[in-house]
Amino acid sequence: MALAVIVLPLLTRDSYYLDVATTILMNLTLTMSFRLQVSTGQINMAHISFMGIGAYTSALLVTRLGFSFWATLWIGALTAALLAVPIGSVALRVSGPYYFLITFAFSEVVRLFFNNFFENLFGGPSGLVGIPKPGRLLGLTFNGKLALYWLMAVICAVVVVALVRLDYSRFGLTAGAIRQADLVVETLGVNVFRFKLTTFVVGSFVAGIAGVFFAHYRQVLHSSDFGLEPMVLLVVFTVIGGTGSVWGPVVGTILMTIASELLRELHHYEILVFGAVLILTMLFAPEGLVALPGGARRLLRKLRGRASEPAGAGVAP
Amino acid sequence: MLLELRAVSRRFGGLLAVSDLSMTVVSGSIHGLIGPNGAGKSTVFNLVTGVLPVTSGEVRFKDERISGLRSSEICRRGIARTFQATALFREYTVLQNVLVGAHLLASPGLAPTLFWSGTYRDRERQARERGRALLESLGLGAVWSHVAGQLPHRDQKALALAMALATGAELVILDEPLAGLTDQEKGETIAVLRRLREQGLTVLLVEHDMKAVMGVCDTVTVLDHGVRIAEGTPREIQTNPAVIEAYLGAEEPGA
Amino acid sequence: MSIELLVQALLNGFGLAMVYVLVALGLTLIFSILEIINFAHGEFYMLGGYVTYYVYALFGLNYFATLGLAIVTVGLAGVIAERLIFHDLRGKALNAFIVSLGLLWVMQAGAQLAFGVLDKPVPSAFSGVVRFFGLIISVERLVVSIAAIVLIVALYLFLRLSRPGRAMRAVAQDPDAAALQGVNIDAVSALGFGVGCALAGGAGGLLAPVFAVSPAMGALPVVKAFIIIIVGGMGSLPGAVLGGLLLGGLEGLGTLFMGSAAVNMLGFVMVIVVLLLRPRGLVGGA
Repeated sequence: MALAVIVLPLLTRDSYYLDVATTILMNLTLTMSFRLQVSTGQINMAHISFMGIGAYTSALLVTRLGFSFWATLWIGALTAALLAVPIGSVALRVSGPYYFLITFAFSEVVRLFFNNFFENLFGGPSGLVGIPKPGRLLGLTFNGKLALYWLMAVICAVVVVALVRLDYSRFGLTAGAIRQADLVVETLGVNVFRFKLTTFVVGSFVAGIAGVFFAHYRQVLHSSDFGLEPMVLLVVFTVIGGTGSVWGPVVGTILMTIASELLRELHHYEILVFGAVLILTMLFAPEGLVALPGGARRLLRKLRGRASEPAGAGVAP
Repeated sequence: MLLELRAVSRRFGGLLAVSDLSMTVVSGSIHGLIGPNGAGKSTVFNLVTGVLPVTSGEVRFKDERISGLRSSEICRRGIARTFQATALFREYTVLQNVLVGAHLLASPGLAPTLFWSGTYRDRERQARERGRALLESLGLGAVWSHVAGQLPHRDQKALALAMALATGAELVILDEPLAGLTDQEKGETIAVLRRLREQGLTVLLVEHDMKAVMGVCDTVTVLDHGVRIAEGTPREIQTNPAVIEAYLGAEEPGA
Repeated sequence: MSIELLVQALLNGFGLAMVYVLVALGLTLIFSILEIINFAHGEFYMLGGYVTYYVYALFGLNYFATLGLAIVTVGLAGVIAERLIFHDLRGKALNAFIVSLGLLWVMQAGAQLAFGVLDKPVPSAFSGVVRFFGLIISVERLVVSIAAIVLIVALYLFLRLSRPGRAMRAVAQDPDAAALQGVNIDAVSALGFGVGCALAGGAGGLLAPVFAVSPAMGALPVVKAFIIIIVGGMGSLPGAVLGGLLLGGLEGLGTLFMGSAAVNMLGFVMVIVVLLLRPRGLVGGA
């Protein structure tokens, strides 16, 4: 996949394809960090809100106070992470469907806040416009689609590598254990609350980075960019790919983003087909698309009559 | 004296599940906790391991107060447990189950984990080797790569014990370790417990199989309705009139 | 601030609360029987609205007869949806969430294609206002509220007294025990889903004259329904009624003191507070 990322801009300078690819990379950053939390059993519906916090923080610091994008990239993400600490601590007092609902409530509060309060700052229902592209860094300018694509590619690559490493390590082992039986993990000596909060904060930090990039790429912000619709899409991309594997979001995000682009021509039919695809996938591939090859293999084995072989997936040697 | 309960009580609404319980577990011994159904034995385990808070009284371990601490902190101090309904990570392999608890002996921190440094890889390799050896000693060596949810009952019980031992605990609390096992399997498990005692471990267990309890325990505490009614060697307990009364009373129809 | 003003504000808030309670009841009924959250619930509400538009506004059938028709039609649609899509997803909340999302998109896009995007107004069957003790309430809202209450009582009686209703309650409490007693879980699930959707369809028919009919009309009621059942307790029917009254009252009073933007937030703030203090909801005990 890394090859595809590098090769693509050599194949085409077409602005449209670069746009789609950049969007895929942004979405991937978000779904991978979302999946980090899902691996511990948390469905955090406020994930997109932290993207928004990063985005608005950077937009305001750059347009009002003249900060450099290269500084606000970190400041925006840190702001998101800092706010994630109290919000996460509160949300983690409940679990399961209640956690899902309370994070959803938080995300609506945040969205309504950006939409209706401090209109002179956030732009209110008309949105915040005039956000500049990133400034110069080390003599390089970042004005064109290509440069921005490379920037997002680097960010995404770092995030993906880090999260894959984490998942294959003891950290991932503990996360999956928490998802399966968190009380047992607690009695085995892991402070489950602190672990979950860590994934919440780290995930929010990454969402903040994606938000900052988003703000300076699109150059316009509106509270609906951080509301239920995009959050739901994130969840769909992740779950369709498969939450069991760290590669699930990769498969899901790429396939679904491309699918939605291909279907875009069809307008209303796009949504209809999208919805139908969702239903069919969940009914016939409940563990996600990434599990399909494994499922097919198991099916073949059964058909050939072999006894079930031991599993071995998970922690890398 | 490794574990000490001082006048521990636990109240659930109007019900006093454990009442003014004091008991001590001596280091290097196998200590049994018995009593008729509903006597409060599992509650005692939950109180000691921090799953439930005490309503009053104090639990002390290695002469430090542990009542009121988080379960994870209590585990870090050296207490591990199994659950009555065998609690495993069913999607994981046997070895993975054991490795989850091994972090206390292997944990290098976030940065080495992230960058897969040499230290991290060494520690993980050691943890895996120790895990395999532990499984071997409990008869699970051959199934280390099998999925835990598909194991036969005897192996699941052995795995639960392995997970507790993987934390490096000094006191292991076992909730009905012999439940559902055949006589031969019980014998094997008892042999394992004796071996653990020889290695210096302390075991506190709840069991309903009287013969086994009397055969392997050094000391036995008897609970009835949340109250301690006797404590002593197996022989003393077996001839204690209050104990006999409690068990006979519990066996009456409708009791 | 006079008492009259306060009571009037409360009354305004309650005005449509009962209808939202209907929607909430449908949602929580489905949750209690199938242990899943149906995000497409608002689309069944929308269906009820369109049935009302075509049969009452265009075709001219009596309003209450149309309402009955809407309830039955949407209920059937619910049964079909359950049989085709949801019955295997018992208890698998995350997958059911995605599937219901897909259903939402299918139904909404389908409605846009079939009915067009524009709002379709439905004439109200009732006009005028009622005055008492210096308070004002429109006849339409009064009738709508009373009709909603009638349906809620009907639901209550159905669940209490009828055999299928008692079967549904048994499954909601303990599906394994119910199965052992010979209850057909599949049939109960399908029926429960159907009844839940029927309630939403009825609510759609009731509010069609108030708000006009459009493909996206289900979005607002379903959000309110979620707030109501979280506050009242998921799976609890009396909780839904209580939650509805609280939400209606809170929003009604809220409009006296703050702008509509802040009033919208009130519901969510209430959700956060309830989830922190009593995660199971005010009446929830499931």
